[in-house]
Amino acid sequence: MRKLVSLVEKEVKDLLRDPRIYIGLVVPVVLMPLLGFLMSTSMSSSIEAGAKGLKIAVLDYDKTVLSNAFLNLSRSLGADVKSINVADIETAVGEARNLGSTALIVIGRGFENDLVNFRRASVEVYVVMETMSLGSIGAYSAVEGLLSVSSKIFSNMLISKLNPSISPDVVREPFNVSTRSILKDKIIEVPPQVLFNQLLMGYSIMIPLLLLMLSITVVQFAATATAVENEEKTLETLLTFPVTRYDILLAKLLGSSILAVIGSILFTGGFILYFNNMLAMSGFNFPVGDVSQLLPSPPPESFILLAVSLILAILFVTSLGVAIGALSSDVRMANSLLGVIIVPIMVPSFLMMYGDLSTLPLSLKLLVYALPTSYPIMIAKDMVMTPISLEAILGIPYSAALTVLVLYATSMLLAPEKLLTIQYRLRLRGSRRRQIKELETSLQ
Amino acid sequence: MEAGSIVAVRNLVKRFGDLAAVDGVSLRIEKGEVFGLIGPNGAGKTTILRIMATLLLPTSGYVNILGYDAVKEAGKIRPFISYLAEDAGTYRNLSGREYLSIVARIYFDSDTEASKAVEEAIRISGLGDRVDDRMKTYSKGMKRRLQIARALMTKPRLAILDEPTAGLDVFHAKHIREVVSRHVKEGGTVVLSSHNMLEVEYLCTRVAFIHRGHVIFEGAPEEIKNELGASNLEEAFIEVTSR
Repeated sequence: MRKLVSLVEKEVKDLLRDPRIYIGLVVPVVLMPLLGFLMSTSMSSSIEAGAKGLKIAVLDYDKTVLSNAFLNLSRSLGADVKSINVADIETAVGEARNLGSTALIVIGRGFENDLVNFRRASVEVYVVMETMSLGSIGAYSAVEGLLSVSSKIFSNMLISKLNPSISPDVVREPFNVSTRSILKDKIIEVPPQVLFNQLLMGYSIMIPLLLLMLSITVVQFAATATAVENEEKTLETLLTFPVTRYDILLAKLLGSSILAVIGSILFTGGFILYFNNMLAMSGFNFPVGDVSQLLPSPPPESFILLAVSLILAILFVTSLGVAIGALSSDVRMANSLLGVIIVPIMVPSFLMMYGDLSTLPLSLKLLVYALPTSYPIMIAKDMVMTPISLEAILGIPYSAALTVLVLYATSMLLAPEKLLTIQYRLRLRGSRRRQIKELETSLQ
Repeated sequence: MEAGSIVAVRNLVKRFGDLAAVDGVSLRIEKGEVFGLIGPNGAGKTTILRIMATLLLPTSGYVNILGYDAVKEAGKIRPFISYLAEDAGTYRNLSGREYLSIVARIYFDSDTEASKAVEEAIRISGLGDRVDDRMKTYSKGMKRRLQIARALMTKPRLAILDEPTAGLDVFHAKHIREVVSRHVKEGGTVVLSSHNMLEVEYLCTRVAFIHRGHVIFEGAPEEIKNELGASNLEEAFIEVTSR
């Protein structure tokens, strides 16, 4: 134990003080909230700018009391309305642009006549798209809002004219719908959309994303820590110490996992701040927090299953990271080889994040089931919505067996004889490839 | 194993693919000796030392270290040996003291013994206060001195040193030679490789000339010089290899 603790101390201290590592740990905490703040500020200011300075040019072909009432109503709602008097639309568009208007509204002939005869009146809207920014979306939303409010006021007027004793709201929306959701036989007093927003954000995106980040971080740390040993020529010395290769492997797994957990906590903090900044933006007011209290609590054994599957997934990817690092003569080579591991880890996570496992084709399903990193995500999703599936439960002994196999294979790789021979072969292959390239270049 | 021998190597062969790095080497190193392996680059010296350090497995032949089979009982050998690789690196982000302390705690069960070993290593390395600085700030020579100190602080029964004074200036090289001599006087045994013939002549009780994976001559420096009529080991080596 004393030897293992010493080795873990070495791993953690060396990794934690490595700029390549701690920058990776600290950056999300600083960058993600900053990114959220910048994005929300930029989006809010663009949308506000689009809505506040709403300038509208109106080409009124009808010139009646009601068309004039529409213009006055628009002004009373805060829009800067300019009337233009030209013969055709093209000239009107040019005029609207010269006036700096956000949109041109064309009130067709017969506007008043159609309304008083309870027919739909024609209104054409031309939105000026100055930039492909959120400002344009804001301007368009403001025009839509203006037309919607105007339409409602005109509708109230028409309904009251037909029968002053009835409520226009009842005519427009005769059903008073209140929707509730049923989850695991429990009625939740919120509509599915609100629940979906919460579950989608929390269980279908946040948890898989965090698990994915944890997996990638841990595999990177393990690969870097081992590749640095090769690069700095310390692994050879380490392998002559009176420690078993299992101690060395376990120390690397523990050291990398400790740092990955720290990294994930920092990443989660950064991610929450990012979302807080984004959600604080006007128009994004989800009813966060209240809904989670209404959800049925997952059974305690599901947390145990989640923890076990998570530990197995971390051990699995870390041992792969150690293997990659051991085979790499330096950190650069390890980073190149990491892609081979990271992509298969990422694919199932994304498949489960955005899709339903049961609807996937068999080949993709097999890919998901083959990886121990899939099971924590599966369990996390099942915890709230349904009982834990049999596949997820069976995944635990399967992951354990596969992880033990990978750990054993990685520990075998830490035998200097094998390591030096494989590294020698890899270098030989690399130099042969370089020689072929040089030959090809010289022949061209 | 032959009585009193710390190392016994018989018909050692190590092949890397088609290349025979070591080809039929037999050696015997007695307790209290400083045994030198001399030879040009690629002669097979480092491969022999790596096999003795239980890092590599022989293709064929027999290697016995401290009474244990180097292939079957490597785990039993490791607590009693220490190996200094020619290009041994350091952990950039640890201080010299932290590194020595971690290694000492691996070798010693008691904290007192570990602390004593660290203090001894600091003395051997001559790093002074710099021992508390991160190792990435060390010069090549400082790193080497620290590694030699690490290798000797555990009082190994067999120290395997590959080019121990490579990269050191004359003053520090002399200091390290004295440290190695003292280690042997205190009961240790050393096998080393070196390009520096003067160093080998000064330090070693016996030497073996290695050439193309073979031992081509073996004996005490004085015996070799007398036998070959050479004034120093360098001349003797050239004489033997040019035959």
